[in-house]
Amino acid sequence: MAEPFEALQQEARDRQATLEARVRVRVGTAVCGHAAGSAAVLDALQSEVAAQGLTATVHEVGCIGLCYAEPLVDVQRPGGPRVFYRNVTREQVPALVTAAVAGDGALPDLALGTLGEGVVPGIPRIEDSPQWKHQVRVALRNCGDIDPWDIHQYIAAGGYEALSRAVGTMTPQDVLDQVAASGLRGRGGAAFPTATKWSFLVRSPGPEKYILANCEEGDPGAYNDKGILESDPHSLVEGAILAGYTTGASMAYVFIRHGHEGPIERTRNAIQQAYDAGLLGERVLGSDFSFEMEVALVGESYVSGEETALMEAIEGKRAMPRARPPFPAAVGVFGKPSNINNVKTLSYVPEIVRRGGEWFSGIGYGRSKGTAILCMNGNVTYPGMYEVPFGLTLGQVVVEMAGGAPDGRSVKLLQTGGPLGGVLGIDSLGTVLDFESMAAAGAIMGSGGIIVGDDRVCAVDLARNLVAFCQFESCGKCFPCRLGMTHLLDVLERISAGHGHPRDLALMPSVGAAMAQGAMCGHGQLGFNPISSALRSFGDDFRVHIEERRCPTGACDGPYRRPMRTRPVATGEWYAQPQHVRS
Amino acid sequence: MSSTISLTIDGVEVTANPGQTVIQAAMDAGIYIPYLCYWPGMKPYGACRMCLVEVEGQRGTPASCTLPAANGMVVRSATPQIQELREGILELLLSEHPHGCLTCHRSELCGPQDICLRHVRVTDRCVLCPKNERCELKDTVRYVRASMETPLTYAYRNLPVETADPFYDRDYNLCIVCARCVRVCEEVRGDDAIGMVDRAGTVLVGTSRGTSLLESGCEFCGACVDVCPVGALVERRHKWNKAVREVQTTCPHCPVGCQINLQVDARDRVIRGSGVWCEEANRGQLCFKGKFGMEFVSHRSRLTRPLIRRGDVLEEASWDEALDLAAERLGAHRGDAFALLMSPRSTNEEAYVAQRFARAVMGTNNVDLSSDGRPEQVLPLGRILGTMAATGSVQELEDAGCVLVVSSNTTEDHNVAAVPIKKGRRRGTLKLIVVDPREVELTRHADLWLRPHLGTEATLLGGILRAVLDEGLEDGEFLAAGCDGLDGLRDSLAPFALSAVAESTGVAEDQIAQAARWFGEERPGAIVYALDNVPLDQRTPLVETLVNLALVTGNVGRPSSGLFPLRNGANEQGAWDVGCTPALLPGYVPVDDEAVRGRFETAWGVAPPSNPGMASREAIEAMQRGDVKAAVVVGDSSAFSDDALHAMGHLDFLVVQDLFLGDLANVADVVLPLAAPAELDGTYTSLERRVQLVRCTVPPKGESRTSSWALSDLARRMGASGFDDTTPAALMGQIASLAPDYAGITHARLEQGGVQWPCPESDHPGTPRLHADGFGDRRAALSPLQAPRRPAAPPTEFPLLHVPGRVLAAQGAGIEVVRTNGRSAVRRGETVEMHPEDARSLGIVDGDDVALQTPFQRIQGRASLTGRLRGVVGTTALFGELAVDLDASTDPDPMLRVPGLDVAPARVTRTSDG
Repeated sequence: MAEPFEALQQEARDRQATLEARVRVRVGTAVCGHAAGSAAVLDALQSEVAAQGLTATVHEVGCIGLCYAEPLVDVQRPGGPRVFYRNVTREQVPALVTAAVAGDGALPDLALGTLGEGVVPGIPRIEDSPQWKHQVRVALRNCGDIDPWDIHQYIAAGGYEALSRAVGTMTPQDVLDQVAASGLRGRGGAAFPTATKWSFLVRSPGPEKYILANCEEGDPGAYNDKGILESDPHSLVEGAILAGYTTGASMAYVFIRHGHEGPIERTRNAIQQAYDAGLLGERVLGSDFSFEMEVALVGESYVSGEETALMEAIEGKRAMPRARPPFPAAVGVFGKPSNINNVKTLSYVPEIVRRGGEWFSGIGYGRSKGTAILCMNGNVTYPGMYEVPFGLTLGQVVVEMAGGAPDGRSVKLLQTGGPLGGVLGIDSLGTVLDFESMAAAGAIMGSGGIIVGDDRVCAVDLARNLVAFCQFESCGKCFPCRLGMTHLLDVLERISAGHGHPRDLALMPSVGAAMAQGAMCGHGQLGFNPISSALRSFGDDFRVHIEERRCPTGACDGPYRRPMRTRPVATGEWYAQPQHVRS
Repeated sequence: MSSTISLTIDGVEVTANPGQTVIQAAMDAGIYIPYLCYWPGMKPYGACRMCLVEVEGQRGTPASCTLPAANGMVVRSATPQIQELREGILELLLSEHPHGCLTCHRSELCGPQDICLRHVRVTDRCVLCPKNERCELKDTVRYVRASMETPLTYAYRNLPVETADPFYDRDYNLCIVCARCVRVCEEVRGDDAIGMVDRAGTVLVGTSRGTSLLESGCEFCGACVDVCPVGALVERRHKWNKAVREVQTTCPHCPVGCQINLQVDARDRVIRGSGVWCEEANRGQLCFKGKFGMEFVSHRSRLTRPLIRRGDVLEEASWDEALDLAAERLGAHRGDAFALLMSPRSTNEEAYVAQRFARAVMGTNNVDLSSDGRPEQVLPLGRILGTMAATGSVQELEDAGCVLVVSSNTTEDHNVAAVPIKKGRRRGTLKLIVVDPREVELTRHADLWLRPHLGTEATLLGGILRAVLDEGLEDGEFLAAGCDGLDGLRDSLAPFALSAVAESTGVAEDQIAQAARWFGEERPGAIVYALDNVPLDQRTPLVETLVNLALVTGNVGRPSSGLFPLRNGANEQGAWDVGCTPALLPGYVPVDDEAVRGRFETAWGVAPPSNPGMASREAIEAMQRGDVKAAVVVGDSSAFSDDALHAMGHLDFLVVQDLFLGDLANVADVVLPLAAPAELDGTYTSLERRVQLVRCTVPPKGESRTSSWALSDLARRMGASGFDDTTPAALMGQIASLAPDYAGITHARLEQGGVQWPCPESDHPGTPRLHADGFGDRRAALSPLQAPRRPAAPPTEFPLLHVPGRVLAAQGAGIEVVRTNGRSAVRRGETVEMHPEDARSLGIVDGDDVALQTPFQRIQGRASLTGRLRGVVGTTALFGELAVDLDASTDPDPMLRVPGLDVAPARVTRTSDG
């Protein structure tokens, strides 16, 4: 049974040996690197290596998480550590190649550090840096390490071992038991135990059942789902196949917002490679289990990340949430039983199956097992994507790892879990990072994004900004969300512009209460969170705006001072939509 | 088998059926839970959040429209918390909906003409809203008792009101985005003409890319108008008129028998109509004819007094004068020199009196309907199955596995019959096969569209029948139980080999085989046919083939299966039932059936003549020959050609009873004003044999009377007896005593709802499906097919056939909507679709300007060589154009003459140089 896989593994190991026998240059070309100019650097590296007639291999990798240092280039000599060079520009490439690739030296001035066995004089070890030392990399284990376009590197790193073992020697119930033992909970925001969710689908009648991998990830400041797909798409593919095997599903849709070409192309490529290797399609790895997978794209809509709206979108309809019940496990996409999992959740599964549920549940804190993947951004010194075990405090992550606010400023607030999450004050830095403590503090883990604001940030302005996002992204179906969001934004713009009235402080919670109780899906139910949490921690900011008609930080006097037109006034533009370009 | 659920709603013990939601259970129990987006009969949507309830032991406040009822559930719909929540949501809603009058204590006292002393803007005043007092939002606000004192900013959308499209206005300033209109269009009608546009706070209802309804695929059925809870969608005519009463009646425009609620204003005018949702005949749906075509009832040009021709002019006269003259002159033409043509809109009672008048008073069987009767549609049914009517029920088609639509423009001619077909198709459980050379609206939904050469429909169906038998898809059990003649049928199928059929019909072999497989395998299967454009000599073979096909596949008498002849006039079925047809007496007794004729002699005191009379086609020919010298014609008909009218004008004596002084009345000697279908009591029998009440909605205009009243009076004046009681209920009693299928039907019973005949006893529930228990004491005899006949060679003057089509939407067809006088109209380049071979022989290349000439019209267009049939040229018009024409028509009754899609001989010439 496992024969086809052993052949695959052997081929991967052979290729890996060849790869490691040469100088290996890796360039981070995930979206963070791309934005910083990695395409030019990659191009320059390849032509320089060719021009100098070197045998070194130059290949792309995804994001290792140290996004502040992009474009990040690392050079690994056979048997040596990876030497990372930070913020590399095209102009620095010839010198870099000459010194580190052609010669056996290094450029300590340009270097960020080394990773792996071995020491290079004058260059610090990344493992010792505050950015790295708290990290436990499970879902991100391969990110920034392997070539996302190459299935062999994934297999050489232990990939598809779990799948091979599952379809070869384990029953679906065994896999489910492992996932249950791991204590894995959904990473999309609701933190529902994954094994329980899967067991619903197991019980639903087949044979047509769907696994949906949700990479809609519309939260501003969150890029870990896309990060995984860009850096290590096969871990999702393997996780989704395992989920399908466990639940008896017939097909998986990986659901990505259109326009994110990196994740889309790399995932499509990975799926195709998996088909070619016999890991997908009829009789996976020679077993009786067959499974299909496809990337589905959706238009720009935050709400299409909501599970029922996502199913509407896959069916080609307008992405608006459905009424529940019936729940997706009974009536999902195309009316068939479905199970929706976040990309992160599924990416944990191969490691859980490979190393056992017990191992995974040993990581973490309280009822939150395993790791949290955090996207640190905003006013921090070291923005990036970090994977840490549950149980650290927010202070450790924000101040120690991400370096706190830059330029000697002080951290004023944190905004966690996406725009529907909460705004936390500086007093929350002692909060332990796990699902329960975060909820108790008035925030959510959500998708793992943490936006940090320093003392220049105005809480009213931030709340207005968040609500503006939530308002725009409301699908407009249920009345409380469609109208409540609009009015909340109206009030916040008023306050922000210095036209607030004391009664607005009572008006917002009354609108918020109608939304929290009345709205149809999470978008509306949580839509008041940014304001309620900001009011709780930064009530003074609001009072100053209303009573003294000024912004304490001056942020509201910026370009947004001009009241934006967000009341539900369709000025007639809505029907003058642009003509589609005919091809 | 299915147990009921019991739950408690607001302290009341309530029972519900499995699958019902809490709001449905509450409604059934008479408990009101407010709602705005829910609509019975559509899938729950859960947007308005008005129906939120509390459930004991459950978190949160679920919406009762999406909450399935469960055993032991304890629901509270009006706790203070819920009321407060509803009030909060309503306040939000009213922040964008004009509501000036809702906060005013004078709201009940103020009229539209009163000046508002509170400086409320015109657009914000409820009294100036067309839906004032029938606004669901207003009712909800009153029920919730919202305080309306909210600090939320109010904003009016300031959108222009969309008044350019036909029939109804769209004022999206009043829209609350409940999406009922979008859902009814998609879910119930299957049209998708409108959708949600934009998002969040600016979300609204609109058409794709903001096009006019003419291009968006709207069939102007008005379902969206019926479900709109506020004033956003309103019928344009009588927009602001307030109804004082509402009467349920049967639509007079086609034989589907839609139940319609007609609203009447204080001046006794019919101002608007809406579908009745709980009636099985139409399940709440109407079409453009019924919804917007009731204007004729209250039209100002209605005839109100009898007219007598004196010299060249028609002069007003009294009923006595007119009837005396008619009695005197008709008395001289008794016998077969007289003919009586009835309007297919006549009620059963009128039709009964008419045939009795012709037979008992005038002594002739020359009595028929004036519509373009196609007796061939049902005669083979009578011959083979024993009953001349559709065998099933129309709404059941939704659950069919396969529906075969043959030569029928269902969406225009029998609109609501297409609704269940489209619905089933959309659900994915129904395979739709359309056999028609024309592109009709249903072809858009069809899984398979077979386009045979005109006149080869019977051959094509023969091919399908043979393929069914060849592949062994027949229902052997059914055939053995009830049918004879399978061997004879098999033998007659020899000439219908797939290749031969494909060759003569122009339909590909694999398509024929596919159609046979679907119809044979996807059971239950139903056949819907109208015989549009089928040549006279091919009609009987075609219908016989269809009956054979239904029998061979066992699709007669089973749920959702059967044969559905779509007849022309609203009450053609009923008129036949009561004997208003030249060869049959009431109850389908042949006029020469000596055994049963005695019954009529006893009832009428006079023996009906025993020689079959002339049908309308023959009668008109006889008029032209001069064999028929006098006639009574009730109601104008689209089937009267100019020649026919000319012949009628030259009769010795012509009595016309009609609604309007039209072309027909203008050639009469005596004109009698006719009561319109909404002005009389009576019954219609729909195509699915459903006898339903026609109720008097408004008093007859002026001195207009029913034809049964007029003919009875005329009969008395001519010395006949037994024409004394002219009340419709009494006439139904006579019908029931003569036609066994109607024996259990009385007007009193029909008040409870329609009954499908046969209904032999007063406690018989009616018969939704004929032949459910076989064919009575007989067996159905499969009839061997006639050898296929090649269509006659076309005349050389018009060597081609012009096949018109009509579609709801035509993407990328170079359509331009122009607005003149504030109304949208379609302007587009005509595309003439030709077969490449035909084009080559005429020297035409793709894109040439060509002229298409038929005996009736000339069309200029651009050639497109995409046609698939030799000898056929096609043009396609938008449904929207039809709607514009009907809306703008000056004809007082435009829906009587909705132009069909008639195939005509044609020739094509190139008009462009180079």
